[in-house]
This record gives sequence, structure tokens and C-alpha cells, in this order.
Amino acid sequence: MTTVDRGLDHLQGGHDEHHDVPYLTAKGGPIATVWDWMTTVDHKKIGVMYLFSVLFMFFLGGVAALMLRIELFEPTRQTAAGLTGAAFAGGEGSSVGAVGKFYNTVMTMHGAIMVFMFIVPGIPASLGNFFLPLQLGAKDVAFPRMNLASWYIYVFGSFFGVYVILTGVVDTCWTVSSPYSTSTTGQPQFIAMILAVFVLGFSSIFTGLNFIVTVHKLRAPGMGWFDMPLFIWALYATSIIQVLATPVIGVTFLLLLFERLFQIGIFDPGLGGDPVLFQHFFWFYSHPVVYVMILPAMGIISEVLAVHSRKRLFGYRAIAFSSLAIAAVSFLVWGHHMFTSQGELAATIFSALTFLVAIPTAVKVFNWIATLYKGSIALTTPMLYAMQFLFLFSIGGLTGLPLGALSTDLHLHDSYFVVAHFHYVMFGGTVIAFLAGIHHWWPKMFGRMYNEFWAKIASLIVFVGFNLTFFTQFFLGTQGMPRRYASYVDDFQLLHQISTVGSFILAAGFFVHLFVFIHSLVVGERAGQNPWGGLTLEWETDPVPLEHNFRHEPVVRHGPYDFESVVPPGCDEKEFPLPPKDEVRTIH
Amino acid sequence: MMTMTRMPTLAIHDFLIDLFFRRPADSDVGVGWGTDGLFIFIWWVGVFFFVLLMALMGWWAWKYRRIPGKAAEPSPSHNTALEITWTVIPTLILVVIIFWGYNGYLRAQMPEGNAEQIDLTAYKWGWGMTYDTGLGADETVPLGSSEVPVFYMLLKMSSQDVIHSFWVPDFRTKLDVIPNRFTPYSFRTLPLEDSDNRVQTRTVQIADSVRENVRYRDHWIFCAEYCGDLHSEMGAIMRVVSKEDFEWWKSVPRYGASTNPVEVGEKVYIASGCATCHSVDGSAGTGPTWYQVYNRPVPFADGSELSQAEIDADPLAWDNYIRESILYPAAKIHAGYANQMPSYDGRLSDVELRGLIAYIRSLSGLDVETENIPGFEQLDEAAESPQASIDAQTNGES
Repeated sequence: MTTVDRGLDHLQGGHDEHHDVPYLTAKGGPIATVWDWMTTVDHKKIGVMYLFSVLFMFFLGGVAALMLRIELFEPTRQTAAGLTGAAFAGGEGSSVGAVGKFYNTVMTMHGAIMVFMFIVPGIPASLGNFFLPLQLGAKDVAFPRMNLASWYIYVFGSFFGVYVILTGVVDTCWTVSSPYSTSTTGQPQFIAMILAVFVLGFSSIFTGLNFIVTVHKLRAPGMGWFDMPLFIWALYATSIIQVLATPVIGVTFLLLLFERLFQIGIFDPGLGGDPVLFQHFFWFYSHPVVYVMILPAMGIISEVLAVHSRKRLFGYRAIAFSSLAIAAVSFLVWGHHMFTSQGELAATIFSALTFLVAIPTAVKVFNWIATLYKGSIALTTPMLYAMQFLFLFSIGGLTGLPLGALSTDLHLHDSYFVVAHFHYVMFGGTVIAFLAGIHHWWPKMFGRMYNEFWAKIASLIVFVGFNLTFFTQFFLGTQGMPRRYASYVDDFQLLHQISTVGSFILAAGFFVHLFVFIHSLVVGERAGQNPWGGLTLEWETDPVPLEHNFRHEPVVRHGPYDFESVVPPGCDEKEFPLPPKDEVRTIH
Repeated sequence: MMTMTRMPTLAIHDFLIDLFFRRPADSDVGVGWGTDGLFIFIWWVGVFFFVLLMALMGWWAWKYRRIPGKAAEPSPSHNTALEITWTVIPTLILVVIIFWGYNGYLRAQMPEGNAEQIDLTAYKWGWGMTYDTGLGADETVPLGSSEVPVFYMLLKMSSQDVIHSFWVPDFRTKLDVIPNRFTPYSFRTLPLEDSDNRVQTRTVQIADSVRENVRYRDHWIFCAEYCGDLHSEMGAIMRVVSKEDFEWWKSVPRYGASTNPVEVGEKVYIASGCATCHSVDGSAGTGPTWYQVYNRPVPFADGSELSQAEIDADPLAWDNYIRESILYPAAKIHAGYANQMPSYDGRLSDVELRGLIAYIRSLSGLDVETENIPGFEQLDEAAESPQASIDAQTNGES
């Protein structure tokens, strides 16, 4: 068993044995270090590079979101003197149409960045890349070079995409619905935008393929499928979706290109195509991809709840299988995005199938709550975020019910209710879980602790800001506010203003987090090998993992959640005591 | 089949309806046990599970908080009976929701055979209605509703350009309007009751016919499918009147005695949606302004132009340019503007086209000689402009 203080000295660098140094150790001067990072095939460094990249994209998408909220603070009206209440009005000569165009471009920025460049790659490519091999006891992912290629493709695709949207004034929304998208945007910009998303798809496929092979082939000796941590199960289910669904969006976008370039009628009714066909193709990718966004988040929550309440997860197998069940059913429900445009029979079938997804999801939530029963619960920052997740994700899940039911969806479809629902699931679910994961694994990634007090304050600000921003939007939706509107009728103003104020509180919470992280990196206290008392293999490594992860190939002798019978590696039994042995025997 | 089923009136239920929807639905699919009722049912289901789960989470997080030096009490890590229970019970509730929603959906999607049918055309960015009187586009839609039995409407919808979606929030239902097919939007409005404080009365005059005490109730129409720059401005008012008033409204001839073509043009300008993009005071818009442009050179996007020499040589050059631009907008694109105007081919009559030309001409301060324009001896100022009432509401000046 390793000891707590081993490896701290290695942080200072200069160790001769290449494979024995912590991965963060600098390789000579600044230029050599940068070169080392840019050419690394180490999954940990790639994970860290991905983490900073996706967080930067989250920042850009967030700025766009705040711009939208500013514009929506007042209903825009046209008077004889000009526009009132339009934040985006560009002085004299600007019209309602110009404000709308600008709003729509910013909205496209927000959607495209958050979906394609932040939330889809988000957790798998950053935390997944870093911890999947560690949790499996492997030295790296199966294809390290492909892993690096994935990052380069991601960075190239992201910058290209943002550049095109900004310079080309692309206003198609992230959904690029035909025939709107093909009939309005200028040809070069549109093709460039499509290509950017096409390229980004490859980074997603590379990561997914890598994870599948790694899980199958590189598990440590002694680790059977049901000895895997639930984060791995979630990433595995995610990867299957990524590999199977991403090519569909690639093909769809190629068809759009062919239609545009060679005038082949596929989606454009002007050429004899069918616009509803485009929606089928698009959602056949984009609905499964919703689960690419949420499944890894569920995996994080399973880890965090178990470790911080020192409890074996309630219904391990049920949670593992529900991940796979959600992945499988996710391919059958795309039609619920089109209740208002498809035939009655199809809508009926898709409505019933949609509720199939609700059941494994509900089972997961019940299991997580039951895990808390008779635990030893520490209210650390990751745990607070996990409990926020349960709160917000439950609201997000339950508000999905009136959207899956046919008659209520006819009213709520494409309204602010949908906006609120998916922000509760995607932000209240995925982003909050991402924050839980970052705080849970931060000490292992950077070898330092953060200021728990200020991190908890920040999490509270985020919670309040988030609910002010999005809870109001449920009411806007039921009262008749359609989505993607740059202006609205006066009745909705009060709720919009509360939402805008909330969005700035939310942003403030993130800035507190940013300062906590920077503070930690600069002067944070050194973290031990296993500050939370986790039992998964990543906690058996040095405080900062070595380049090749483990000093010896780990052999799995206990399950990932055997808290009642195993003293966590690198921990003192006084701090993490075990119950008397005879009690344990009676339970199993 | 249909009677107006109202839920037993519980104070809490009415409160929730007001909280979520501001007021009960105004259509038979929405009201009572329909959409509103299902939504409130789901709300109660959600509140039950949410409160239960959060109470357990909070209680246990407090009760089992970590005490240094104390191990967690051993406890079971699964329980088959419990896990089956919490799978089966939600499943049963979901089945109820599926069938309840399906039932309401069928009522919304499948009208009975006796519906009054109206053609609806969506375009960027407005709605056009054509009644069986063969009238031109008109945004305010007097739709039928009588006391009882309630009058059915079926909108046969199609789009001129991209996908739009027709949504009347008060009716709790919407449907996409798609370029290459007709889609049906059917509804049965609730009667105009005296107890409803939104019901108003006014006097309507069309040509020489006057009808007093016409009772009506207005509903917002929104476009719910993203369609570009003025997507959020694509609103309109649906005006529900009694069936008798509707029949009268349809039966009155629109254009009676002769009138000024400029006024006809101005009316078409507003009613057909030209005003959405083209200003008449020189201010910028999605399309070029009409102010002071007649018989002046026009630069085109491809570098060519309608030159002063051409205009001087041909007195109808500008008239033909306007005509072409309305019927085939993509033929010549004004420099600095995008090609996004829909075609009005088949949607405007010759008289309306001539009226528009006269109107544009008048905006340049040029006189129009009425008697030289054939067809206008039969025209009249029709009913008050519906768009004006929408503008008034949008501007908060009503």
C-alpha cells in the first residue's frame, strides 16, 4: 500500500527516471514543456487539455446566453421614434429585423457552442479521459494517439465553427432545420458551418471508440464487468451511443451539402424534397446525443454519492443496466421532437416509447436516494453538488412528463416550457454533475485541495441563480411564450426580468468558482493520496498520478464500493473506521 | 361526442390553472379534463414524488451526517421487493398519462366532419387567411363560435417558404405549417359568455353595411417554429365572433363603390404583410423602403441596375419592376438586401397589384389619376384594417 506523502517531492521536477515522475512534472524550459503537452499521448494530459478547452467554450457560450438575457429584459417595440427596449439596436437605421437577425445569430452561437463544443464532449473527454484508464487500472486508453488526434480535431472544429458563425452571421440555430437553413444563409458560410460540425463529430467518435476498446481489453486483473465503477458503466453506454449515432448527423449534413451544391432534392420542398425528413434524420442523432450528455453525469453522481456517504450504491446492477437500457431506448424516441409535424400513428408510438425512457431514469433516482440511507454523509462540495443534482434533475425529469404526453405537448411544444425543461436536465443535471466531478477529482488531477468554504458559497450562488433563471421559464411556457423570440408581448415582461437577474447571479457563482480554482492551483494545500476515502483504483495512485499511472499493475481484490469491509488506500482507519466484522457478515 | 366537461371546481385547482395558464382554456380540447386537466394531474404526480424524494434526501443527509470516528451502520444494498415496487408503480402512472394524452391528442387532431374550413397560408413573416368568399389575405380572422352548439373550425394550413407553426396559446394546441403539404388545425372555441371580461362589443362597417353590437373575443396567434429575423414579430390576433356575425361578415361584398387606388394599395400593404419588411417613411427594414423610390435608379445585387436612362425611355419600367418584384422576388435582388421575400404570385389580384403600384408611386409625391386605372370603379374601402388593431396592441397604444 502506498503512503500518503509519497510523490510530493516529484512535483518539483527533475527526476531522472522518466516513467516514475508525476505527470504534471515540467520537462525542462517553457518551450519544451509546451511541446511536451502538445505532443503528449498521456490520457491525463489530454484530459486536462480537454477540460480547459471545454470550460473555455462554456465561457463563450455563457457570454452569448447573457447577451440573450439582456435583450430579453424588455419587450422590443417599434415606435415612431424607433425601437424601444432593444439592447441590440445599433443606433439609427436599425430595425426590428436587424435586432432579430443579431439576436438569432447570438442564439445560434449559444446553442451550437453549448451543444457541440461543450456538453457533448464535456464530461467524457475531460474527466472521462483522465479517470477511465485510472479506474480500470490501465496505463492509458487503448489508442493514445487517436486520443490526441481527437483533441486536435475538437480544437480545430470549435474555432472554425465559432469563427464561421461570427463572421458569416449564421442564424440557423443549432438545429439547422431545412428549408430555413438552406434557403437563407449565404452559401459559403453555411457550408463552412456544416463542415465544422462534421469535423467535430470525428472527435466524438474517436473518444467513444477508444473508451469501448479500453473497457473491453484493458481492465486490471481481477476486474470483472460487475466490479467496474458505475462511472465506467456510464461512459461505456455513452460511447456506444457516440459511435452509433454520430455518423448519422455526419451523413445528414453531407446530404444537406449535396442538396445545396448540386441541387439534389432531398429536404428542400422547392426541389421536391421533404423538410420533415430532415427533422427525422437530425433527431435520430440529436435525441440519442441527449443521453451522451446526461449519462456520464449520472455516472459521476453514482461515484460521488457512494464515496461521500461511504455506502455501497443501492442496486448497483440496476443502475448499471439502466445505463444500457437508456442507451438502447434512446435510439427509439427521436420522434417526440416532432409531435406537431408528423402523422397521428407515428406520434402515438413515439409518445409511448418516450415514457419507456422515464422508467430507468426514475429507477436511478430512487437508487441514489436510497443510497443515502444509513450512510455516513459528509457535506463536502462534491456532495452538495450531487444533492443539487438530485433536486434539479428530478424537476427536469418530472417536467418531461407533460412534454411526452401528446395533448399537453401540443401546447408546450417549442415554448419556454421546453427551454426550462432541458436546461433543468442539461444544466441542472449535466453541468451540476460536471461541477460535482471536478470538485471530487480536483485533488487527484492537480494534487491540491481547494478552499471548501468558498466552493460551497459558490455552489449556493449557482443554485439560487440557476433556479431564478429557469424556474420562471416554466411559467412563461405554459402562459404562451414561444422559444427563440427576440421580442415578446408585454404580459411576459416580469417573468423575463426575474430570469435575466437570475442569469447574472448564476454567472457570478461561476466567477467565484473560477477564483477558488485559481487560488487552489497557486497556493492550495497539498492534497493527500485519497482525501475522500474512495475505493476505486484512481485513489491507489500517487497524490499526483505518475506518468504511467501505477507503480505496479494493480490487482483488484475488492469491489468499488466495499466501504464496510475495506480501509481506503492511503487512509487511516481512525479517519474512515469500519463497522465491527460480525455486523457486516449478517448483511450479505 | 363532445360535451363541455368541466372539472369539479376546487379552489386549489382554479388557483393552479390561473398560476400556470392565467385562465382556463378557450377551446374544448384544452378545457376541463383535456389538456389543462392532464397538466394539473401530472403536476400533482410530480409534486408527490418530488416532495417525497427531497424530504428523504434532506432527512437522511441530516440524520446520517458523518460523525468522526463513527462507521456507517451496515445496511442492505439492494432489496428486490422494493425495487420491483418502485419500478411498477411509476410505470402504471405513466400508462395513465400516455392514454390520457393520447385521448386529448385525437380530439385535437381529428375534427368532426361539419367543420367550417378556412385556408391558411404562412409566409415570412405573417399569416394569410382565405375564406370561401374568395377574399384576399387578411390577418385578423373572425372565426365562428356560437352560444351552443359550439362551432367547429378547420384550418387547412400550408407554408409559402419555410416551416412555421401555428399556435394559439389560449386553445392549448399548435401544429406545424409545412411547405409541401396541408396540415389541419382544428378547434372548437368556447361560447362568448357574458361572464367573460374579455368579450367586447363593437360596431362593424363594411362598405354600406353596418352591424352593431358585434361581440367578439381576441386571442393571440404566435409562430412557434423558428423562421428567421422577424420570427418573434409573426404574431396576429384571432377574433372569435358568433356564427351569425361571421355569416354576415362573409356575405357582405368587400369592394363596393369606387375608391382611390392609393388607399387600396395602402390597405393591401398592411393586410398582406408588406409592412413587416418595407417601410414607407424611409427607415431601414428587412427589405428596401418604399419612400421616395419610384422612378429612381435601383442598384441590384449582381452589379447591374435599373438605370435612369431605362426609366426615362420606358414610362412603365418601374411599374413592371414592382410587378416582377412582388410576383417573382428572386428575379432581381436590390443591392444590400438578402433574397428572402416569398412570392406573391397567385395571392394578389390584379386590382391589388395595381393598388400597390399606385401606393408606391404616391409615396414619391406623384399624383395618381384614378380614372386611368381600370378596375377601380368597383373598389371600396373595406372594413377597418385588422393590422391596425394588432399594431395598436403591440405598441401598447390601445
